[in-house]
Amino acid sequence: MIESGFGIVYRRCLVAVPTLLVVSVLVFVVLRLLPADPLAMSLPPNATQAEMEEMRHDMGFDRPIPVQYAIWLGQIGRGDFGTSIQFRRSVSDLILAALPTTLELVAVGLTLGILLGIGCGVLMFAWRGTAKEQIADLGSVVVMSIPEFLWAILLILGLGVGVRMLPFIGRIDAQMTVPTTTGFLLIDTLIAGNLPAFLSVLEHLALPAFSLALGLTPLIMRVLRSSLFDTYVEDYIALARLRGLSERRILLRHALKNAALPTVSLIGVQAGFMFGGTLLVEVIYTFPGIGNLMVQALRNHDLPLIQGIALVYCVIVLVLNTVVEVAYLRLNPKLRKA
Amino acid sequence: MLLEVADLNVTVRLAAGEVAVLRDVSFTVEAGRILGLVGESGAGKSMIGRVVARLLPAGFRVDARRLNFNGEDLLSVSPERQRALLGNRIAFVPQEALSALNPVLTIGRQFEEHLARLGVPRRERRARAARALGEVRLAHPAELLDRYPFQLSGGMCQRVLIALAFSSDPALIIADEPTTALDVTTQAHIVTLIRGLQRAHNTGLLFITHDLRLAAHLCDEILVLYAGDVVERGPAKMVFGVPRHPYTRALKRATPGLTGPRLRLAALPDVTPGVAALGGFRGCRFAPRCPIADPDCAAAVAQLVEVAAGQWVRCTPRCAAGEAPLVAAEEALALHAGQEHGALLQLEATAKIYGGSRSLWRRGRAVAAVRGASFTVGIGEAVGVVGESGSGKSTLARLVMGLEAPSAGRILLEGEDVTLPLPSWRERIRLMQMIFQDPVSALNPRRRVGNLVTQALEAKGQTLSRAERHERALALLRDTGLPEELMPRFPPQLSGGQRQRVNIARALCAEPRLLVADEIVSGLDVSVQAQILNLLLRLRREHDVALLFISHDLSVVRYLCERVIVMCGGEIVEAGPTEEVFAAPKHPYTRTLLAAVPPDDISRPWPPEDGMAPLGDE
Amino acid sequence: MIRLSPTLRRCLAEPRVRVGGGLMLALLLVALFAPVLAPHNPGEQDLLHTLAPPAWTADGEWSFALGTDSLGRDILSRLIYGARVAMRVATVAAFGAALVGSVLALIAGYYGGWPDWIIGRAVDVWMSFPPVILSLILMVGFGAGLNNVILAIIIVDWTRFCRVVRSEVLAVVKRDYIPAARLAGFSHLQVVLKEIVPAVTPLLLTLVSIEMGIAVVVEAILSFVGLSVEPSVPAWGVMIADARQYMYEAPWGLIVPVLGIFVSVLAANVLGDGLRRSVDPRLAQRLAVIR
Repeated sequence: MIESGFGIVYRRCLVAVPTLLVVSVLVFVVLRLLPADPLAMSLPPNATQAEMEEMRHDMGFDRPIPVQYAIWLGQIGRGDFGTSIQFRRSVSDLILAALPTTLELVAVGLTLGILLGIGCGVLMFAWRGTAKEQIADLGSVVVMSIPEFLWAILLILGLGVGVRMLPFIGRIDAQMTVPTTTGFLLIDTLIAGNLPAFLSVLEHLALPAFSLALGLTPLIMRVLRSSLFDTYVEDYIALARLRGLSERRILLRHALKNAALPTVSLIGVQAGFMFGGTLLVEVIYTFPGIGNLMVQALRNHDLPLIQGIALVYCVIVLVLNTVVEVAYLRLNPKLRKA
Repeated sequence: MLLEVADLNVTVRLAAGEVAVLRDVSFTVEAGRILGLVGESGAGKSMIGRVVARLLPAGFRVDARRLNFNGEDLLSVSPERQRALLGNRIAFVPQEALSALNPVLTIGRQFEEHLARLGVPRRERRARAARALGEVRLAHPAELLDRYPFQLSGGMCQRVLIALAFSSDPALIIADEPTTALDVTTQAHIVTLIRGLQRAHNTGLLFITHDLRLAAHLCDEILVLYAGDVVERGPAKMVFGVPRHPYTRALKRATPGLTGPRLRLAALPDVTPGVAALGGFRGCRFAPRCPIADPDCAAAVAQLVEVAAGQWVRCTPRCAAGEAPLVAAEEALALHAGQEHGALLQLEATAKIYGGSRSLWRRGRAVAAVRGASFTVGIGEAVGVVGESGSGKSTLARLVMGLEAPSAGRILLEGEDVTLPLPSWRERIRLMQMIFQDPVSALNPRRRVGNLVTQALEAKGQTLSRAERHERALALLRDTGLPEELMPRFPPQLSGGQRQRVNIARALCAEPRLLVADEIVSGLDVSVQAQILNLLLRLRREHDVALLFISHDLSVVRYLCERVIVMCGGEIVEAGPTEEVFAAPKHPYTRTLLAAVPPDDISRPWPPEDGMAPLGDE
Repeated sequence: MIRLSPTLRRCLAEPRVRVGGGLMLALLLVALFAPVLAPHNPGEQDLLHTLAPPAWTADGEWSFALGTDSLGRDILSRLIYGARVAMRVATVAAFGAALVGSVLALIAGYYGGWPDWIIGRAVDVWMSFPPVILSLILMVGFGAGLNNVILAIIIVDWTRFCRVVRSEVLAVVKRDYIPAARLAGFSHLQVVLKEIVPAVTPLLLTLVSIEMGIAVVVEAILSFVGLSVEPSVPAWGVMIADARQYMYEAPWGLIVPVLGIFVSVLAANVLGDGLRRSVDPRLAQRLAVIR
């Protein structure tokens, strides 16, 4: 079988449909197990029994679960993700408005995390055998032991409240307004030519992106260092030395490319996890992204919204996995079969 | 004088103190000449290569009266100058060719990187690389540059590495066991190639190997190393023809021969001392195993003395007197010459085909690993299976053992059809046991030795008390020549030879009538190999067990087996009594195989000069 | 003299195992003896002493050693009882996920064929979803309660074990001592129990200790959002959510539970790291690489 980039994308698209179906069924069924009444949140306290029944019928909660699912599936097919119970707006509108925020945040967080991780990983390897390495190693274990949402809180305490260096509420200075074209504030501010706004967005992104990055960096550091060690005992490294290549060239041109493989795998998995991390980070920093939206939906048992966002997360992770697999193929020639 | 080494000492600092892993080593390599460094594992021969490259691990200290390359003192040269020499004036050819190339870069990229370092301008690099690959007789060199190492065979990779080494027209090449991992026919080709290129470029060659016979044919001069000491040195033909040092003699006599009378291998007892043990020797390090040692030998190290023209030996004057002549081998073959005892194992037109599955989205190519194999193993008989890698001999072993089910044909054990799938696994493996090749992989590192050898007693239906099991373990250890104190140890704590014995002991526990041995002496030192071979002879005699012995080494098969089967490409191309087949081979492949083995008689020219045809996919 | 295998001896000698293991043990003891150690009832409100600072500051008092929260509840007691929740979740969920994941991994790795395919597809589907979100959705469905939290974590995290243990099983099955065991007459079950399980156990223990840290974090996230244990049960995430509102006036209310989570996860990670080092056979090679 010819394994090419296109082949992977094609295969993944095929697999995506049943995956999404299975996930949506799971989510659908689980949510309907819930002991509390989903409507209880959105009705006024003095609603009569008749009004509740009417609303239940409107929402379709009185039908058997498989029927509800079929209806919902039909709606999805037409592009209608339903209406949010608490906001009374279309779910797709809500998601589309909030999605760019999260994507922007994760993009910056990922980039930061990967750059820091690779840099520190290579450094730690270059320091091998010295005391500096031991300190870096312990440091990475400590950083790894603080989950992202705690980093978010600590960074606020330290750099937001304690030292007052960076802002930690919202995406941009409350006074500034920027016309929304793409929804990605970094891009919108540049399009509008508004440099102070651009800087403000960066400032506001700094702490939350850093919180996310700190969840990724120590893991990349350790895996990269570990795979570099594994690569360095291989015969071809010894022979490269015997051929007179410099240590620097060996590390950067030969070892790194081989060691990158497990690292790329890790990044793929952790990028998906990072989206999970955005939930609390957005809540803590008051970012209006889908993470924040999801938390509100969960608290209020807003089933249509929960389902819609869950599907979106699923699609995002599938896209990420595909990208990683293609990258892996490019890096590892053994997987390609001519 | 290309490489001049005088009184080289390399010491390593261990917890117990300083140990000399190389002691007073002196030799010279001249342009256009080949020097062979011969020794078993632990002799320190690979260390010499690393000393010249100045790439020793931390904790090692080098001390030499002289270590000159082309007049330059390698000990005082700057690291930059040292690095500039490597790959340029001094080139290396390693042992494992496949893993010596970066798997994620194409051959072309790696070659061009090498040429870039040599200062070749960018435009010319690809052409130079293609030319170099052509020089080593690789077909379609231009296409090869775009392939990755894993797409090439071991022999092809080794040619690439040789091309890399010669591409800078070096003054000195250090080849560390370059043919050990290769098939015997490939080895012959590669040796021819190296010799041809070396002559053409007038390069000095330092050829490191454990094979004394190979070195005798290829090299001009030989240096024999034991545990870091040079024990003998001299012209190759003389050192092999009339060895003076007891160790060299032992090496020669522990190597089974392909022609001439079948003599019993004289195996040295014990093993080469490990690095940690070296510190305890004040005198000769070979003394504990030496057949002619006396108390003086252990007290002080002897000097290198010239006993004949150009031949130096480090031993007492008594050793020139020689020892008792070699003992003729007991005619183990004659024991079962009249094999009217009936057939134990029969294979009829057995085949094994992999792949070719019919699932919807995977259409693999069918690979026939074994095709139409038919043969018989008599009760108590020893049958050898020879062939190169890819000949299907390992698959055959697995088919016999039941680890694979045949795609066609029948397997009969004592007349009964036991072709898989059978209802009972017990039925299938009755009477047979297998000794696996790699004892590291075949012994569970978490089980103690006593536990391992009696593993067969743990299966269901076996009720022996702990004391009985202990007794059985002791008996098995005794049988295979292992000391009792190894019982509570774990496999990683044993030496290679000991592990292989444990492997054999475990196979004996179930009291099989047939032992299937898959390349069990391949990775072992010559003297350890001789011990194991003699052990197998003894076990055959004492337990009357038949042997199906798979090996790529024809001399070993000749020593052990009365009948032989030759396999090529999954088929049996020739079969018959060993002596007949080896003396007068009928099939062309068998003839090629026999011609590729370095002959015992060093006056015969080897390798055969016609082995220079270009190769595509070997 | 008990004969310990060299691996076990190496494990216990590794400093990280001792430190991490010791911390873990201390936490477990605190959790176990919470009713004895805590000075107050964690739910007891003292509305006269809300947001009191820790004892060593100017306005603090020693009856509320670490201060109080917005409802006057003793932070130290809530910390200790929160440890109880965290440790319960950590131990049961980690071992539960390990059990489910490794049994499925053994089946998939040893038998191959269609069981491997099904389990592989299940793992793929599971991993196409950020685990935190899946556990939140599960908690919405199950409702509040400690056992529900544990169940949710097991349901989400078994895939982590399955994937890693399966690769390890595949690597072990390639070794010759597996067919050797079969040739010794072992049945398939015997091979799995006597040869494969001991080989993957060291890796498994490493994963379990790291999973304990993950479980503590997941529980904290769940209780931060309000979807974990019942409101009357003190949990570190709840403490954080409450204290966040008063972060300017009373930061210690935030710092204390943060430290609790940090110490637990640190202990789990250090222990796991130490176990991995003492068991990894490649360590000897790595020491050679350090030149």
